Amino acid sequence: MAQNLVAGIPISTGIAVGRAFFVNRGLRGRLPRRMVRKEAVQSEIDRLRAAFAEAEAQLLDVRERVPPELKDHKHIIDSHLMMLKDPNLFGAAEKIIGSLAINAEWGLEKAVDELEKVFAAINDPYIRDRMQDVRIVAEQVQTRLLGERKDIQAMEGRAIILAHDLTPGDTIGLNVQKIMGIATTLGGKTSHTGILARTLGIPAVVGVESLEDAAHDGDLVIIDGLKGKVLVNPDEEELTQYADLQHQFEDYHTSIVRSCQLPAETIDGYRMQVLANIELAEELSTVIDNGGEGVGLYRTEYSFLNRTTLPSEEELYEEYLNLAATIAPRRVTIRTLDMGADKFMSHFGPVDEPNPALGLRAIRFCLRHRELFKTQLRAILRASRVGNVSMMFPMISGLKEIRRAKSLMADAQAELKAQGLPFNAQMPVGIMVELPAAVMIAEILAQEVDFFSIGTNDLIQYSLGIDRTNQQVSYLYQPLHPAILRSIKQVVDAAHQTGIEVSLCGEVASDPFCVPILMGMQIDCISLTPKAIPGIKRIVRQARMEECVNLLKQVLHCRTVGRINRLVTDTIFQSFPEELSFYASLLDTDDMGG
Amino acid sequence: MNSNNGEVRRQVKVSNQLGLHARPAARLAQEAQQFESSIALIQDETAVDAKSILDVLTLAAPFGATLEIQAKGSDAKGAVERLEALFLNRFGEER
Repeated sequence: MAQNLVAGIPISTGIAVGRAFFVNRGLRGRLPRRMVRKEAVQSEIDRLRAAFAEAEAQLLDVRERVPPELKDHKHIIDSHLMMLKDPNLFGAAEKIIGSLAINAEWGLEKAVDELEKVFAAINDPYIRDRMQDVRIVAEQVQTRLLGERKDIQAMEGRAIILAHDLTPGDTIGLNVQKIMGIATTLGGKTSHTGILARTLGIPAVVGVESLEDAAHDGDLVIIDGLKGKVLVNPDEEELTQYADLQHQFEDYHTSIVRSCQLPAETIDGYRMQVLANIELAEELSTVIDNGGEGVGLYRTEYSFLNRTTLPSEEELYEEYLNLAATIAPRRVTIRTLDMGADKFMSHFGPVDEPNPALGLRAIRFCLRHRELFKTQLRAILRASRVGNVSMMFPMISGLKEIRRAKSLMADAQAELKAQGLPFNAQMPVGIMVELPAAVMIAEILAQEVDFFSIGTNDLIQYSLGIDRTNQQVSYLYQPLHPAILRSIKQVVDAAHQTGIEVSLCGEVASDPFCVPILMGMQIDCISLTPKAIPGIKRIVRQARMEECVNLLKQVLHCRTVGRINRLVTDTIFQSFPEELSFYASLLDTDDMGG
Repeated sequence: MNSNNGEVRRQVKVSNQLGLHARPAARLAQEAQQFESSIALIQDETAVDAKSILDVLTLAAPFGATLEIQAKGSDAKGAVERLEALFLNRFGEER
């Protein structure tokens, strides 16, 4: 048995075995607190000043090395630098050390506590959250006071990175070649660490609550990025077992990647298209390398974020044109701006909405800001002259929104024509079906558009009435809830009765446990994160349509999620035994909420 | 616009829709630090040090708030004018 086994959220697949290297630990509870003699006060203040200066020097160094694609982090680092120089932090700590005659660490802790109270009283949640930055900055100073100066650059040889949390500064400093795996105490499914780890293909587990008690520098650690486990000082047997699993996973991975360019066709000849979800044209090579047959969802928010001015039509046109031309002759579906809720923050005014997820976002936002929307429509239309471009509107709730969006599109087309700018007048136009209302009237909406794309992430949240990022209710996030299955089926059937294409994007599409059911519904395409494509294509290629249809039939007879999940897991176990050990499914098989 | 003993005051309005959030606050403090004068930012009864990002943040001045910049010292006039300009162009942000 391992000395310690702790669990967290798997966010980047794979197995890593190596020595632990702690980048930063949570400091609370470990800080030395002591009174000092009057004569020693000055030396404590000097220590504090030196620690601030060191922290500043390190941040300045990091700032110099910010790569252009992370330029958003630069301003975070700038404000951290300002905080390091702030009289309210250093000055307050200095005063406390002097007046109470205590050590530097304790003085800084007290100064931070004082600030915490001030920030806690602020009404504006966005400003209140900036206390996080104060804490990050103070911890960097504390680390230096404690003489734990090492940072990632100090790491010798390859290692498993463990941390309380990885700050933007740490992330930028990462020397990628040396990192075998990552585990952190904080963080969730959408954390920055996860995105980074997946991009780099490094196994990672986040949200490991007792990580800091369980593991120490130099411990032998196994990161199980498949099931979300961290094993500290494992025994012989576990090591052998994981070495085998690692081997198998790598073999499996090589084999699925090797066959990923083959079409996604079942044994009995049913063909499904497997497309990719991306947000940057740079990802196109990953799409093609992983066997993506095109782009089913191109998110367009990126060029609107992290900047102080709106992108011009020319800028957007170049972006979309490059995208369409690079992926051609494969298809690309561009989703118009889906700003709002979470992404709203930096540009389009205050989030004064008590309920941003139900507020002014996506198509509603675009129909309100018509000039901005038209700029984007014109850019997409102009790009449609090359390759195989389609366009879709997000968050449609009814016919009127489609008609208003289409009338703006007609205006844009008329303008382009008048200006003599070419575009594809036959460009397919579709909608995202992600609101329960759109599901209910799918057969009406199908008359108006060329295709549907079911957005299951939002559909699940809106249908089951849960915020998935809220840990209190996230157990209710059940992709195979009978209501969700019926919704998806209703949309697929409505599309097919009208003769339009239907695809599905959302995490469900990359879950090997859910895909056979979608196949049973005879969905035309699925769109998923590029890295997951080889695994899903392999599932499709090993499946039989007949069995998928059967599975769907049985599943639709089940009255509880628990029953469905068991049925699906059993089926997968029989049909794809190999997959079972490599995937952590979205499904929760322990019957929560039955 | 009073000016005595090198003290200069001016009223400004927060026109950033998010109020004086992190980026403008950092910008304001950064610019204020370039001046020798002591500079206060006053909202209602509360006065804070314009050179401190934490002070400026905790002022939590919302969109539309009227603030007073008060500078005292040799370069007070230049400081007030510089900071006023920042408020006027929304600290270089779109909204």
